[in-house]
Amino acid sequence: MEDNTYLSIAYLGMILGLAIWTWTTISRSRKLELRIIAMEESLNVKQSEADSIAVLNDNTTE
Amino acid sequence: MRVKSGDMLLIAGFSGLMLTLYLAFNWAPSVNINAFQSPEAQRIFYWHVPAAWAAFIAFAVLFIGSALWFFKRSPLGWKLHVAGSEAGLACGLMAVWSGCVWGAAEWGTPWDWQDYRLNTFGLLTLLALFLVLGRQSQPDGVESRDTFSTFGLYGFVLVPITYIATRIWVIRHPGPVIAGDDDSSISGDMAIVLMIGALSFTLLIIGHIMTSVEITKFEQRIDRLQKELDGE
Repeated sequence: MEDNTYLSIAYLGMILGLAIWTWTTISRSRKLELRIIAMEESLNVKQSEADSIAVLNDNTTE
Repeated sequence: MRVKSGDMLLIAGFSGLMLTLYLAFNWAPSVNINAFQSPEAQRIFYWHVPAAWAAFIAFAVLFIGSALWFFKRSPLGWKLHVAGSEAGLACGLMAVWSGCVWGAAEWGTPWDWQDYRLNTFGLLTLLALFLVLGRQSQPDGVESRDTFSTFGLYGFVLVPITYIATRIWVIRHPGPVIAGDDDSSISGDMAIVLMIGALSFTLLIIGHIMTSVEITKFEQRIDRLQKELDGE
């Protein structure tokens, strides 16, 4: 293979990987955000950001 | 929909990477054709080195997060552990992929099992893969978080070994291009493009880590809301 073929394969692979990773991360964030809004509206609860596993662990150790 | 600071960093990082790519192909000088088997393929390094640099940042975040969770039970620590392992896997795979393609062009083989840097960096990427896949297959709990954090803590030992590998055991992988000895320095224009690439990857990875921290926060909130919904 020629030098430029290797160069293209390397960059296309990295661009594709970067695009998939970023797209997955952003779309996951958006979907979860919308799901939370829907759940909180249906439950009529206030926003809370506590980590239930860490809180559970704190309660057990106290 | 509001634009978050993580998104802004991602956009800035992407723009910088595109600029790096343009400069790498159109502005950066070629290397000495007598010194390389595949002189044009050398241009791979404008993303390869910054990707490896970003992977090291991610592994440092993974280490800090693992330590914060393991010793302090910090919720932020766990979020950093998750973000660090995901970012470390993505950047590690990019560095390994581009390195393999360059190795195939320059050395005639994509991997050298005797080269310390290749193998220690490969192990680091595999560790990140184990952490990402392992977390997805295990129920979230104190025990599973402790186990994964321990791997995150011990795995970081490979980072300084990988960093100094080309300084101590030069086998096949080229020596350091930045902060190396006098023989390893690169030309000014090449260094500028490389620096733009490193800065862009740094912005991108910070943006990814911020978004990933937010995702973990969302998942935890959904978990709690689901428990409320189930009446627990």
